[in-house]
Amino acid sequence: MTDALRAEHIFKHFGEGDTLVRALDDVSLTLEAGHVVALLGPSGAGKSTLVKALGLVSLPDTGKIWLEGELVVDDGRLLGSLTELRKRFLGFVFQRPNLIPFLTAQQNVELACEIGETASPRKRARELLEWLEVGHRAHAMPATMSGGEQQRVAIARALANRPRLVLADEPTAALDKVRGRAVMELFQRVAREQGAAVLVVTHDHRTLDVFDELHEMEDGKLGPARAA
Amino acid sequence: MNLAYHDVRHRVGRFVGTSLGIALLFTVVLAMAGIYLGLVDDATILLRSMRADVWVVQQGTRGPFADASRLDPSIVSRVSALPGVTRARAFTYQVLQRAPLAREPGRSLRMALVGLDWPIDRGDGLPIVRGRALRQAHGELVADATLGLAVGDVLHFAREEFRVVGLTKQVLSSGGDAMVFGTLADAQLIADDAPSDAIRAERERRTERLRATDLGRAQPQLEALTDDPEFHPPVLPSPPIAAVLVEVDAPASADSLSRVRGALAAWPDVTAYTTREQEQLLLDGAVEKPRKQLALFSMILVITSSLLIGAVVYMMTLDKTHDIAVLKLMGASTGRLAGMVIQQAWAMGALGFAIAVAIGQQAFPHFPRRVVLTTEATLAVGALVMVISTLGSLLAIRHAIRVDAGKALEG
Repeated sequence: MTDALRAEHIFKHFGEGDTLVRALDDVSLTLEAGHVVALLGPSGAGKSTLVKALGLVSLPDTGKIWLEGELVVDDGRLLGSLTELRKRFLGFVFQRPNLIPFLTAQQNVELACEIGETASPRKRARELLEWLEVGHRAHAMPATMSGGEQQRVAIARALANRPRLVLADEPTAALDKVRGRAVMELFQRVAREQGAAVLVVTHDHRTLDVFDELHEMEDGKLGPARAA
Repeated sequence: MNLAYHDVRHRVGRFVGTSLGIALLFTVVLAMAGIYLGLVDDATILLRSMRADVWVVQQGTRGPFADASRLDPSIVSRVSALPGVTRARAFTYQVLQRAPLAREPGRSLRMALVGLDWPIDRGDGLPIVRGRALRQAHGELVADATLGLAVGDVLHFAREEFRVVGLTKQVLSSGGDAMVFGTLADAQLIADDAPSDAIRAERERRTERLRATDLGRAQPQLEALTDDPEFHPPVLPSPPIAAVLVEVDAPASADSLSRVRGALAAWPDVTAYTTREQEQLLLDGAVEKPRKQLALFSMILVITSSLLIGAVVYMMTLDKTHDIAVLKLMGASTGRLAGMVIQQAWAMGALGFAIAVAIGQQAFPHFPRRVVLTTEATLAVGALVMVISTLGSLLAIRHAIRVDAGKALEG
């Protein structure tokens, strides 16, 4: 089976001389399709920097990244169109839902489907919202929805283009314990039923049982995979 | 999915409020264009309605509207005798400001009084919208409706009564004054109206001049004649006229016109202009400075509008910086993001323009100067608005393009 993501010898530095920070120090990582993986570690360990590098938001200084076997970053250089790569491979879930405030839940997902050039965007959006159990809120504006509902819509949006890799940066940070766990279980469903690889940055150790693998990060270095 | 539409709908109150402010600026731009067109129309409408092919004026002057032209009335007969001339009419023009209205004695009226050569010219060519043209040699006037007069109103000039028998619509001088038409004799009577003391002083001057002559000294009984208002001593000329309006036998023929003009060119005391030349002289003279002023003012307004739209659209885009970052992470193309910004600018410009046109239609008729808005001028201003909106959105588009997608990950 082709890995959803493979990253090798990723380095990312900030500053120079005395102020040099090794945000990512020789990080290598492989994510299999259908797996949900947790990225743990203290603040400043480099988790968000790694998510940005893997999501092609902030390219690494050196290293290689493959998405579904296709080399997209070589020695820190992007190969191909960033917009196209994001549309084809990537889905993001953020700390806050970050829904577009002037669109309804349905329209937020539908827009992502349109951008991802998914066939029948309206139908796909409706299906995703139903699948994530927020279909009844399809026509609600984000401001009228609870945090948990918004995060479900955000996950639906991240899945709109059938991404092979979903990157989630502390997606439960703004949710209470019950809703946070529900969201983590959703990621497990996404991995199992949608066949995507899901990498979740989290501080919440109470929900680690939903993950297939755990990785610890500290001082820019990624520890070996271990079972949950 | 049209993001601009959804964003505008979400913030419709703010959007409409901003568009209303911009609309007021566009209203002024429209007014400037309309006032300019009104100036041009005012300057030329009288020329056109007098239906003359050639205007004969005092030699070296630029006609009765641009200059003071004084001609002896005998020139009318001289011109009439020229081959190719079918009709020649005397014409006088004088701007007055008096309070002649019988029903409102204190109300001052400013008007441009035109004398028509009764009986050959009764004002039948005027655009009369109520009442009729002149039917009597004395005591009747046709006035423009902007003076606020009604048919049947009585005006007092030179201790005589004049009745308004007809109203024209928007027949104004290049200075914006309402036109009033009467017979030549009435116009001269009104224009030369002098207070009693001035008449007495004039009679005394005539008597003195008579006494200074051998004839006056030899025949003192002639002094009684100087009290007669109809008596004009031989040395005093008849009241002058401003121009002679000439109609030629074949006005469409350049030959016919040039033949008459050629004959008039040989006369040392007159200058002849075609109606088109008179129009051009008026536009070059009376209208040129206001035109430049209006153009400069409009340019400042256009720049101000561009900056305002630019600032508003930029602020709207700044508000959406985080949303734009999210859209970028989703893979939205630059074209989609730029389209959202520019469509909002266009929508704002279009709504502002529509409101401006609506305001203008209600407000412009009440402006003291005539505002003429043709379809072509309105469309031209509309096109300008779209250009302004496009220019105004450039900075916001630049911002949208430069938004870092990583901002979406910053909570």
